[in-house]
Amino acid sequence: MVRAALSNKSGALNAGPVAGASVIPVATVFAGSALAALPIVSSSGWWPNAGFLMLIAWRLLRTDPWPIWWAAPMGFANDLLTGAPIGLSVAWWTAVMLAMELVDRRSQWRDYWVEWAIATVLIAADRWADWQVAGLAGAPVAFVHIVPAIAFGVLAFPLAAMIVSRADRWRSGR
Amino acid sequence: MAAPAGPRPGWSRKAQYSLFFGLVAAIAGLIVGLIMLVLSLVAPSAYAGVRGAALDITAPITGALSEVATTVTGVVGGAGDYWNAAEQNAGLKRERLELRRQIIRSKAVLQENGQLKAALGLRERNESAIAAGRIVGSSFESTRRFAILSVGRSDGVEVGMPVRTADGLVGRVIDAGSSASRVLLISDRSNIVPARTLRGGIPVLSTGRGDGTVDIRPLEVGRNPFKRGDIIVSSGTGGLYPPLVPIARVIRLDDDGALGVPLADPSKASFAIVERVFEPAAIAAAIAPPPGER
Repeated sequence: MVRAALSNKSGALNAGPVAGASVIPVATVFAGSALAALPIVSSSGWWPNAGFLMLIAWRLLRTDPWPIWWAAPMGFANDLLTGAPIGLSVAWWTAVMLAMELVDRRSQWRDYWVEWAIATVLIAADRWADWQVAGLAGAPVAFVHIVPAIAFGVLAFPLAAMIVSRADRWRSGR
Repeated sequence: MAAPAGPRPGWSRKAQYSLFFGLVAAIAGLIVGLIMLVLSLVAPSAYAGVRGAALDITAPITGALSEVATTVTGVVGGAGDYWNAAEQNAGLKRERLELRRQIIRSKAVLQENGQLKAALGLRERNESAIAAGRIVGSSFESTRRFAILSVGRSDGVEVGMPVRTADGLVGRVIDAGSSASRVLLISDRSNIVPARTLRGGIPVLSTGRGDGTVDIRPLEVGRNPFKRGDIIVSSGTGGLYPPLVPIARVIRLDDDGALGVPLADPSKASFAIVERVFEPAAIAAAIAPPPGER
């Protein structure tokens, strides 16, 4: 029996993390940022920022998807891919990681609705920061223009959370 | 029992140190990010190289995907055209007759114009196109309005050049990679185009609103000079954009100006043409707008 268990690699006993499990979260966030390369010519800019959604979905699911400082290079890649002012996502994504450390320490319990509420605050803050920086760069649009963008981001978050939880289960071999 | 001062990953010194240094590195990353952000706001040209390189990497993917999307939408749209072909046919015939009359009128005007110009001894400026490319993508995740154009520095495109389609003005190039470039659309809030109305020639300014429309304001304060359906064309003032390129059509009036829809729809235009800067002296001002300009 023991010999048979050792030879059978596909059994549940031998299931472990897939190869490269530690870089899969980063890869999914990068893929989210790379969605900016889709050939969508929009006149409004209301689509959710997929890279940021993946980032907060991973961070809300686990405390350790990546070392905390990796947010800076991931943000740099996001800035380059989406054409945002370089440095915006570097600073903001790292700030989100630090803020989530505080949220983790302060919060007593967490369920689906609390996670969605935290995500709502973070998505709204993300669009607000983007709006502020656009204003500083010489493009101050009215605040009402970013409200639909926030709504679409909040509604798209459960999808990102589902993708992330599937990816996490797959990468840890469960 | 009091809660521990921070998250402790057990008794392992190594794990504790790596967590601590991770935190220090994150704070350093935050500061570096803020410095980079300030630099990109104050001196956007500092990142021209790296932004151009990133464009070169992503634009081919966008271009290939956009071919697929164009084919699919073309098939669907083509099928839709068959749906009420008879009615469309009648409408198009009426439109063609009307257009033919207009063409004859404008040919006469053109001929007269040529004779008058010859009499005055004016020489036409040579407005040769630099390159023609496809609009393959846009900044659909941001309040800024940018589009990705499939031609770059290797085709002669440089930062500051105006981009137009057959229908009208699209915007100007702000980042140029070697095979792709980023265009600041006229619907972006920071893009201000000196213009005039086609009817009456009243000088106006067109400013983007960030949602695909433009805000049109007359330079002189007074009675609102606009009417619904007015066509706004560029005036060439400032030297950045060539004159007499259609910009927008007025769709709504407000108390001291009007709201317009750009005539060149970047999502529908198949080709966009990059042109020479109308007055080369203006390019320096276009590349480096003074910081803090609102």
